[in-house]
Amino acid sequence: MASSVVAFELGEREVEVLVAPLTTLQAVLRTQLGQMSVKDGCRQGGCGSCTVLVDGEPVLSCLLPVEDVAGRRVTTLEALGYQCGYCTPGMEMLAAAFLEHHPEPGRDEIVDALSGNVCRCTGYEPIVDAIAAAAEAGR
Amino acid sequence: VTVTSYVLPTSVAEAGGLLAAHGPDLLVLAGGTVAMPLVNEGTTRPTRVMGLRRAGLDGLEARDGGLRIGATTTLTALAAQDAVPLLATAARQTASWAVRNMATVGGNLFSTPRGGDVATALLALDAVIEATGPSGTRTIALDGFFTGLMTTALAPDELVTAIVVPAARGSTTFLKLGRRTANTPAVVTVAARLVMDGGPVSEARIALGAAGPHPVRVAAAETALLGRALEGPAIKAAAGAAEAGMEPRADAVASEWYRRRMVGLSVRRALGELAAGVPGRIA
Repeated sequence: MASSVVAFELGEREVEVLVAPLTTLQAVLRTQLGQMSVKDGCRQGGCGSCTVLVDGEPVLSCLLPVEDVAGRRVTTLEALGYQCGYCTPGMEMLAAAFLEHHPEPGRDEIVDALSGNVCRCTGYEPIVDAIAAAAEAGR
Repeated sequence: VTVTSYVLPTSVAEAGGLLAAHGPDLLVLAGGTVAMPLVNEGTTRPTRVMGLRRAGLDGLEARDGGLRIGATTTLTALAAQDAVPLLATAARQTASWAVRNMATVGGNLFSTPRGGDVATALLALDAVIEATGPSGTRTIALDGFFTGLMTTALAPDELVTAIVVPAARGSTTFLKLGRRTANTPAVVTVAARLVMDGGPVSEARIALGAAGPHPVRVAAAETALLGRALEGPAIKAAAGAAEAGMEPRADAVASEWYRRRMVGLSVRRALGELAAGVPGRIA
């Protein structure tokens, strides 16, 4: 198998990684680039815990070959300053992109946007509250 | 890991060349939302993989009153267009935001039955598949494209390059029944298009998703409406024909028994919406 070098932008820096063919962005971010906020969840695109932004838009890094992001800008929760929990990093990346698109969201819009991110602890209400509060604070 | 090469061709010609050379042994990825979960799980163990993100196959183009949809156009892009509201609705009701940012319209033709919402809507619109292969480009009516569970009329060395939606007459509606309201696989999906012009139904398309091994038009339900006013008796006849004609599959989302009953109910509701004039007009 022929490994290849892939270069992309991670936050503010240029990174280069050597990868086997079809390695996922999720695996590279976590195992080679120390982005521990990017969780290794369902690997099926169903839980949202590996959500990162590519050129500002949310995608699931477990389904994305890293070769596909060559030359693109990848943002993980590390760029927002902190990390915690299991589902929260994916939630926060989704929320960050969501608030860019919808600076004054309705509660229904928040709930709908979060539908691809699974949380098994909170029942979602505090998360929805937090995004509504962030939107309020941003205004 | 068994993958020995992952190639991202930058043109249709290059992609076609790879398919001609490796045909059945080449796993083709568009958005990756169907195939990558199988790869991650080890259910599919490809050696050669081709990704289409750089093949220049994305984009929407108004054409002859209809729409030409590049095969790798994302569901997010399809949801954002307003030329064909039925397709925007179907795309918007598929999966989650991050998945829609990756999943493609062409890829939806190769989805599992419970994920083929966009394919179902395309059937109601008489969409035509544009495919390219070693002997050139051909068109395949979507109505004859699906041949079984996860199988199609596409040859192993052919590539779907676009989906062409002709200018459509009539009113359309899209109704998806799931286990929850957002980001849900389908129990059953109905896409319908009727031409009435204030009188009896003169043209009918009723397409069902998740009601069988692949999205399908229900000829018996369509025939049950032709020449009749869109009222109780005709709607009941069409819903009954749809329910009787389907052989739904059981999966984690719904049992065969439940799906069959929801087929009839969903067709009745969808036609009821059209009768009430609730849904969006496409004419």
